[in-house]
Amino acid sequence: MIARLECVRMLRSRRPALAVASLVFFLALMLLGFYTYAQTQTGGEVDFRYTYENRSYFNGLTFALYAFYFGFQLVLPIFVAAEGGVHLAGETSAGTMRLLLARPLSRARLFSTKLSLALAYSTALTGGFLALALGVGLVAVGWGDVDLYPGVLQMSERHEHLDQALALQRFLWIWPVASLAMTAPLCLSFLLSAYLRSPVNAVACSVALYLVLFVVSEIHFFEELRPWLFTSSMSYWRELLREEIDWKAVHQSAASLAGWSILFSGLALARFRHREEP
Amino acid sequence: MISAKGLGHRFGERKALDGIDFELGAGEIAALVGPNGSGKTTFLSCAAGFLRPSSGELRVGGFEPWRDRRRVMERARFAFAPPALFEGLTAREHLRYLGNISRKGRPRLRAGEIEEALERVGLSERADERVGAFSFGMRQRLALAQALTPRPELLVLDEPTDGLDPLAVLELRKILVRLREEFGLAVLLSSHLLIEVDLLVDHLLVLNEGRCLFKGQPHELSKGNRVTRLRASDTERAASVLLAAGWSTVPAGNGELQLAGTAHDLEQVRTKLNAAGIRLDGYWEQSLSFEQALLERLKAARRNSSCEADSSISVTMTAGPIAKDLEA
Repeated sequence: MIARLECVRMLRSRRPALAVASLVFFLALMLLGFYTYAQTQTGGEVDFRYTYENRSYFNGLTFALYAFYFGFQLVLPIFVAAEGGVHLAGETSAGTMRLLLARPLSRARLFSTKLSLALAYSTALTGGFLALALGVGLVAVGWGDVDLYPGVLQMSERHEHLDQALALQRFLWIWPVASLAMTAPLCLSFLLSAYLRSPVNAVACSVALYLVLFVVSEIHFFEELRPWLFTSSMSYWRELLREEIDWKAVHQSAASLAGWSILFSGLALARFRHREEP
Repeated sequence: MISAKGLGHRFGERKALDGIDFELGAGEIAALVGPNGSGKTTFLSCAAGFLRPSSGELRVGGFEPWRDRRRVMERARFAFAPPALFEGLTAREHLRYLGNISRKGRPRLRAGEIEEALERVGLSERADERVGAFSFGMRQRLALAQALTPRPELLVLDEPTDGLDPLAVLELRKILVRLREEFGLAVLLSSHLLIEVDLLVDHLLVLNEGRCLFKGQPHELSKGNRVTRLRASDTERAASVLLAAGWSTVPAGNGELQLAGTAHDLEQVRTKLNAAGIRLDGYWEQSLSFEQALLERLKAARRNSSCEADSSISVTMTAGPIAKDLEA
């Protein structure tokens, strides 16, 4: 019954609608960005279906890949972090945590229900965003084979070619893999939320910490730190877009992210089970 | 149902509860009374297992709330103030979802039970409206309804009459009495509305700054408590003269003074006043009402604390005549 209660509350909240609206807005901005960039590059003579850097390889799948790449790193973690903040700190701040704890329900069960629901939400949001990006790419540009070159996304050090069917299959694989990657910031936000009673502080700290770690993991100065940061492994889903997937690297990153997630959620549960509710 | 022995709780260096002894049996109704910050909600939070006692022992339904909160909640139900509810859910959904949490081995709540609870608090007609649109009083009533669904053995209510109109307060009193008579429900409530407490409860625990100020039946609080009032030709000077002689007084209105305590040697008082050229026009003893008796206790506690700590403390209550008297 607690799971049903939490589901109903989430669905009736504005959070999912707000997240979807923001992601749609982000995709619209990306589309606009591509279009204006193309206009600049072609001196205003733009045929949107075959523009951007190179008309030979840009299509709806490339657009979806670019949109997901940036959205995954910068937009989705914000909503995921907010989810952690809402579930523990938000509930505490609103006083409803006491309402739940005043029922014969163990803290461990309450925590695991909330975490499971947040994980499901994060997975749905990741999949929804990916599907939306593919849909917008199909409608606005049109699909085709995926060609990746060394460049902006640092996805490949050489030219990679995936035909459309294979690329779509790989996009499908990306969903669970990217969802797993998103569990680490989600569990981090639960951890901070178990300590900070203000939801604003919990969300702000989660987002700030994620961004700091993300930036550190992207800067070459901190190369020695990278293996110790969960953000270094988060973009491992890009491996799935290679012609030959390095499964060992995928498994290592997945294991690392799962480890971080278990650590964060374990610490969060330990804190939640022993904290007072004044 | 509740047994506290030497219960204490600290928030950092501050003692929120200090050595509280309290017993509440099945079918009894008790009230926690005291000014804001006296430790009432801290006591209830400890009983709910939300706070870990720093010292002493506390058992609710035979279990330690901090360690066995889940078992305590199988028998007891709490409604804290202000009532926190899920804004997106309707009143009926609140009762259905909360009432069916963790009912292992027991059948689910029947629709009739939910209807009965809603009707009992007067929310039947708005049962399918979302709580976000409810007034404070309606939230308070829903909080009571959820605490009664399913019916517990012990009901703990924090400021249950806040935001309720007089009729609803009367109805609440009837509900609690009926539940006690029919089902042997034990009730512990904290309240500022002393008149309600006086009419309803079997036991009273008065707290002040985390310490027990009085414990017993309400009528015992005012039993034997009498004050002496006097009228003098110059009340201001009379107060100074008496203070210098060791009698503290408080203005009682209409040019009268009230002597703290009751055992006063009136002949000595008259002699002192006469020596200062002040005429004693009259004096009389007066029994204290429940509220006045409580007020006197709190004032006495304040005076004692001031002496002990050599600094003034403030005792405030949120509403009612006591608050006004204390501020005066």
